[in-house]
Amino acid sequence: MGWLASFFLATAFIPSLVSASILGDAARQLAHRIASVTGPGAIALDITNRSSLDDKSVRELRSALEAQLRTEGVRTANADESMGSVQVTLSESIREYVWSAEIVIGSDERGVVLVSAPRAQAGAVPASAMPLLLRKSFLFTQQQPILDAALVEMSGGPRLLLLDASQVAVYRQQGGRWEQEASLTITHSRTFPRDLRGRLLLLRRDHLFDVHLPGTVCRSSATPPLTLACNDSDDPWPLTTDDGGVRAFFAPARNFFTGALSPGIGKVSNGPSFYSAAALPRSGYTLWTLAAVDGSIHMLDGMTDQVIRGAKWGSQLAAVHSSCGTGMQLLVSENGDPEQDSVRAFEIPDRDPVAVSSPAEFDGPIMVLWTDGSGNGAIAIVKRQDTGWYEAYRISISCGS
Amino acid sequence: MRRIAFLFLAAASLLDVALGATRPRYGGTLRVMLQSAPNSLELLADGTPVDYWDAARILAMLADNLVEIDGAGHAQPALALTWQSDLNGKRWQFTLRRGVKFHDGSAASAAAIAQILGERHSDWTVRGAGDSLTIESDSPMSSLLAELALPRNTILKRTANALPVGTGAFRVTDFQSGKLLKLAANEESWAGRPFVDAVEVELGRSQRDQAIALELGKTDLIEVSPQATAANGTQRVRTSLSVELMALVFPANSKAQDVRVREALSFAIDRKPIQSVLLKGAGEPTASILPNWMTGYSRVFPAQANLQRAKVVLTDSRQPALTLSYDPRDPQAQLIAERIALNAREIGITLQVLLSGIADVSLIRIVLPSSDPATSLREAARELGLQQPLIHGSSVDDLYQAERTLLDGHTVIPLFHLPVASAAGARVRNWQPGPTGNWNLSDVWLEADSR
Repeated sequence: MGWLASFFLATAFIPSLVSASILGDAARQLAHRIASVTGPGAIALDITNRSSLDDKSVRELRSALEAQLRTEGVRTANADESMGSVQVTLSESIREYVWSAEIVIGSDERGVVLVSAPRAQAGAVPASAMPLLLRKSFLFTQQQPILDAALVEMSGGPRLLLLDASQVAVYRQQGGRWEQEASLTITHSRTFPRDLRGRLLLLRRDHLFDVHLPGTVCRSSATPPLTLACNDSDDPWPLTTDDGGVRAFFAPARNFFTGALSPGIGKVSNGPSFYSAAALPRSGYTLWTLAAVDGSIHMLDGMTDQVIRGAKWGSQLAAVHSSCGTGMQLLVSENGDPEQDSVRAFEIPDRDPVAVSSPAEFDGPIMVLWTDGSGNGAIAIVKRQDTGWYEAYRISISCGS
Repeated sequence: MRRIAFLFLAAASLLDVALGATRPRYGGTLRVMLQSAPNSLELLADGTPVDYWDAARILAMLADNLVEIDGAGHAQPALALTWQSDLNGKRWQFTLRRGVKFHDGSAASAAAIAQILGERHSDWTVRGAGDSLTIESDSPMSSLLAELALPRNTILKRTANALPVGTGAFRVTDFQSGKLLKLAANEESWAGRPFVDAVEVELGRSQRDQAIALELGKTDLIEVSPQATAANGTQRVRTSLSVELMALVFPANSKAQDVRVREALSFAIDRKPIQSVLLKGAGEPTASILPNWMTGYSRVFPAQANLQRAKVVLTDSRQPALTLSYDPRDPQAQLIAERIALNAREIGITLQVLLSGIADVSLIRIVLPSSDPATSLREAARELGLQQPLIHGSSVDDLYQAERTLLDGHTVIPLFHLPVASAAGARVRNWQPGPTGNWNLSDVWLEADSR
């Protein structure tokens, strides 16, 4: 009978977000402790749920508890057929589930037994359905803030590089999952700002990737085994994925680019302080779009600086190649509800942005939006509102109807 | 040696800045109003809960602790990056963050921190060398991490005129006793410079004044009563978990020496109507010291009134006329005390309500300062004048038995667990007060006045 109850506990009692074995053990302990107070016989069992367990879980728990009590020689019955009553309350603290059983035997003999079980951490939630024009592909999730991510082909198959405050983690696909293969530590002598930003740029001239962080730059080795060498540096960050484009100085103790450009955009070597920038090639020139720190949008063509206010755009811009429309779109994080942020594609046929996609929605603010190494997509990092975890996505544009 | 915490990504929690759809902006002065009007920037031994919260919030801007306790009750790195203890918890070793400086430019070295902690805890032996700090005691310190995270253990020095010098995100630039405190961003903050340039704290402002100032846009962040209704469009009210306990306490010289009188009174008090009407629905009626969110078992202590049981308990006992005092600084205390006196009268106990002073029973409100239940139980016992609880292990049953023992003599009758609340104006962004009542103003930023 005991093995049957154990089997039941291990297989049937699986409330949402809770490990069956952990709660199964707790139910077993509770039954044992109740039985140690009541001794064998009949009891009236009442269960009250004051926790976040759902009704189905409570029903399963009740069955499991009764089964385990039976193995202890205690059966449940109506109050008038019982030697006593057991009031079980399913409660929880901030850390754990706490189940109490108040046991009354005879007229006034009252005992309390308690057991606890750790509450499960909320896990990663898979990506939601794709919209028609913007395709978002879930890459990875973790608790630590992700600053950038990149997919790269290497010998032995594709790798996912994840940049956070302390490392570049290298993941390799194994059986449909990303398994960590290496961790390249980031060393830095300067204090990082609170809203830390970082950029992972692939396929540099003579090595695999660079990492740009405020006041710090790191360079990887060219071939496996990968290593990473970091130095203090105030050198400007590349604004495009190619090595020879416009670069901008990043304020080492802040979260924005200062506006100083090297080389400049045409004749413009000083723009406004900005969070992000994107380049849209035109015939004869490149139109740069900057999300300025003051919330305005600046469009620089090398000669003029056109300012757009009240665009309701967020801080993140990225330019992405596609085979649709003009062949180059601007992905923009929208300045809406921080609990459900979104990205939308725009084109700028003349000087006014025109939305060319419906928004791709995310369950939390978009922390990062960088053009990826191929230029055909963007990496978006989202902080989920419900779990607080960070999710990396690749966003690309398809020419769907 | 038991490994308690391993190398944790120290920066992670500190870099965990929740954004809106735009990135945080630097600059501006955050304007705060507080009720208390302290003459010094420290925790007062005889302060009210309001004094405690205000001092704790100010100290949290100025200084850091070795560790912090997160919303789930787990220790996280602060000035200490890693830690471990021996098996019985009598010796703890911490590895400190390197390169941290006090606001005066001196190094927050292990030796300096050891001296600060050693002076506060005569029962500890604290040593610092290199980047390692050890704390030893003759008795086990199973809750040491939670203890180190308490406001009283912030790592700070004092200037000649007693102003605090810490390692925190802000430093003091001006303090006008009881009136005004001005802080400036610490450019060298180890966790990164805060987003706002300065904080101005107006002290000694009543809740009513604060509410009007927020409504008029003259301040950004205020304290509100947890009964306050949320959001009128320009402000956001945030309420903590229950972090205060209101209780009746019988001093040793109380005329209520008969335990039956105290027990009967605990059965006679009808907490629910008091909570619904006088506390306007805030908080929860309780018969336990620790709230359910900390322990999960508080409902095992029945809080429902039971007049019949009270009368049975009182049978054959002598019922002296008792005095009941309350703290006049607590705005709800008088009405609650009078209501309790009415409840007592229903079972034949006379309670005469006094404004304050020595009485047979006192209505008090205390802070439960830690999300670690053992630490809060010890602090509550100290505040309530009870013996220190003996907590034999780390299980919920050990905690329950310790709390049960504290309450067995009915020298304390828990009444309500109460939250604290605060409100922010519309231009305040990323304001995320912690579930245990703490504020984190170093991650707050201000919306530009015009875009």
